[in-house]
Amino acid sequence: MIHQKNPITKSPNHQITKSPNLSIKIGSLVLKNPVLLASGTCGYGTELDGLLDLDQVGGIIIKGISSSPRPGNPPPRLVETPCGLLNSIGLENVGIESFLKDKLPWLRDVKTSLIVNILGNSVEEYSEIAKKLDGAKGVKAIEVNISCPNVKAGGIAFGTDPEAAANVTRAVKKATGLPVIIKLTPNVTDITEVARKVASAGADAVSLINTLLGMAIDIKSRRPALANVFGGLSGPAIKPIALRMVWQVVRAVDIPVIGIGGISTPDDALEFLMAGARAVEIGTATLIRPSTAGDVLAGIKNYMETNSIQNIEDLRLPE
Amino acid sequence: MPKFDIPAKIVEQTQLAHGIFLLTVEAPAIQNSANPGQFCMLEVKYNNSRDPMLRRPLSIYKTRTNGQISFLYKEVGKGTRLLSKRRPGEIVRVLGPLGQGFRLIHDRPCILVGGGLGIAPLLLPAERINQSGKLIILIGAGNVSEIPTIEDFSRLTRHFHIATEDGSLGQRGMVTDLLAQTLQEITGMAQIYTCGPWPMMKAVYHMACKKNIPCQVSLEATMACGIGLCLGCAVPKSDSREFLHVCKEGPVFDADQVNWEYTQ
Ligand SMILES: Cc1cc2nc3c(=O)[nH]c(=O)nc-3n(C[C@H](O)[C@H](O)[C@H](O)COP(=O)(O)OP(=O)(O)OC[C@H]3O[C@@H](n4cnc5c(N)ncnc54)[C@H](O)[C@@H]3O)c2cc1C
Ligand SMILES: Cc1cc2nc3c(=O)[nH]c(=O)nc-3n(C[C@H](O)[C@H](O)[C@H](O)COP(=O)(O)O)c2cc1C
Ligand code: FES
Repeated sequence: MIHQKNPITKSPNHQITKSPNLSIKIGSLVLKNPVLLASGTCGYGTELDGLLDLDQVGGIIIKGISSSPRPGNPPPRLVETPCGLLNSIGLENVGIESFLKDKLPWLRDVKTSLIVNILGNSVEEYSEIAKKLDGAKGVKAIEVNISCPNVKAGGIAFGTDPEAAANVTRAVKKATGLPVIIKLTPNVTDITEVARKVASAGADAVSLINTLLGMAIDIKSRRPALANVFGGLSGPAIKPIALRMVWQVVRAVDIPVIGIGGISTPDDALEFLMAGARAVEIGTATLIRPSTAGDVLAGIKNYMETNSIQNIEDLRLPE
Repeated sequence: MPKFDIPAKIVEQTQLAHGIFLLTVEAPAIQNSANPGQFCMLEVKYNNSRDPMLRRPLSIYKTRTNGQISFLYKEVGKGTRLLSKRRPGEIVRVLGPLGQGFRLIHDRPCILVGGGLGIAPLLLPAERINQSGKLIILIGAGNVSEIPTIEDFSRLTRHFHIATEDGSLGQRGMVTDLLAQTLQEITGMAQIYTCGPWPMMKAVYHMACKKNIPCQVSLEATMACGIGLCLGCAVPKSDSREFLHVCKEGPVFDADQVNWEYTQ
């Protein structure tokens, strides 16, 4: 039998339609669809067991991993704001060794692309983790969180300094043969400048946006609502900003762009794909409804069928 | 342990006292597998509204064999206010049963210590313990109106004592006064289960320590997911710089795991 990638199916009104091709490419990596789970909002995958069919999503991006375990910030770590969530988790994670030993084996059985998000406080730390992931069976790509303080540069985030961001990119690319996605921070004056720099430093793709720096004050206790004072804002409140930045970056670089920020519905995701994003990540929405990614995927597929759109790239608006 | 995220039909929403409600929903899958001390995350928003967007954690107060579960809750802010406006027949999304509940110990007298609406997660363990051994229930509140469901507890045991700060019911004073009296009478081994405001639980724990009585506490923390995805619900551990996660490793902990000196 001839293997058909896009089977011809009959739609209810007996028109012959081709079912849309949802698969996309990020560098050498082929994802079965463009809906991914965002780092820090899907744990290590196991937590979603029974609530979301992980086999169904395009990819799962693991919570940021550092070279050694990190305890994270003191509580309170969360506060809800209008249509948003402020968090200061403080990058709590089990560390690369424990991830490889205790978390990865379970994840290998999931039939989706496994992407590991990494973080560091020095170029060396990023490259050390990337090296360890390079040979790890089951890992398909690395997403690099560059919103972390660069200790040698007095704590300025790598992602806010285009040169430092490019240095991290080069180091990680050198350390691994896996596709490398650089995750950009929106807390900069011109996100396209950082995007261009990491693209020319060899990034296979960029993903954006990470959370926006914000704060809240509890007027009853007269104290900042978060123990850490500042936190990262996510959720529907940040979507217009994220969409604008994705639009800009898509037009500034030639590598694939992954859109992130406040996506909770198929319509939200379609906006990002129309702005030119190759794929999207679902973050805060999964915390609220674990099944969101599945619903978003179904909605995208339905839209493409209804509008006879064949490929994800065809969703992009004409210039 | 299986978890379910189900659109549950409301069968009852009763205001029991000022700002205190009993909500009963049809959720057979959750009712079937719920253990004493577990909780659920309830969607409080209407339809596709995005504010407030996070679900709210509530302890499972009661279960009935007909597939119904009840929550006893207090209106403290936007989310609980919206929830209290929901009427029978409407649907509310419920995710549960979540977390690690009480580890029930049957070979010794059990003392339940509840403060205010901290009694909510204590009814299910009380019912279980009552079937097998000696049960002592101590409840405290500022005023009698804060604990409208005490009959659910008082009918379970002869050893039931209550304290209110204004003396409107039972002994005037704190629940810790009741505990001090009870502990004087206890000679052998016992087990304490407690839930209430942090300072109360801390005091209960210190009293338990003095008598070498093990103590399980049900903690609260601000939550986003309730299932271990976000790591937001941290509480400091007693023996390291690390944190406990209330939704996943808790909400019930052995009290000596918790750093009680931490104040937010
Ligand atoms: C595991 C667990 C089980 C719970 N079980 C119950 C229960 O059975 N019955 C019940 O009435 N409540 C229970 N709570 C507390 C309940 O979740 C909160 O009161 C509720 O989320 C507040 O939502 P809101 O939008 O009404 O208030 P918000 O607008 O979020 O807050 C209003 C005020 O309430 C305070 N508050 C918010 N969250 C909490 C909290 N978790 N604990 C204490 N104060 C808080 C805020 O600091 C603020 O001052 C439980 C909490 C947890 C973590
Ligand atoms: C609780 C929480 C934890 C997060 N942890 C990480 C992390 O470890 N690494 C990372 O790159 N991004 C992290 N993020 C950012 C998200 O992956 C995402 O970029 C951001 O939340 C915006 O998307 P959203 O609005 O859909 O949530 C975290 C976000 C949240 C809410
Ligand atoms: S509330 Fe998200 S991990 Fe506990």
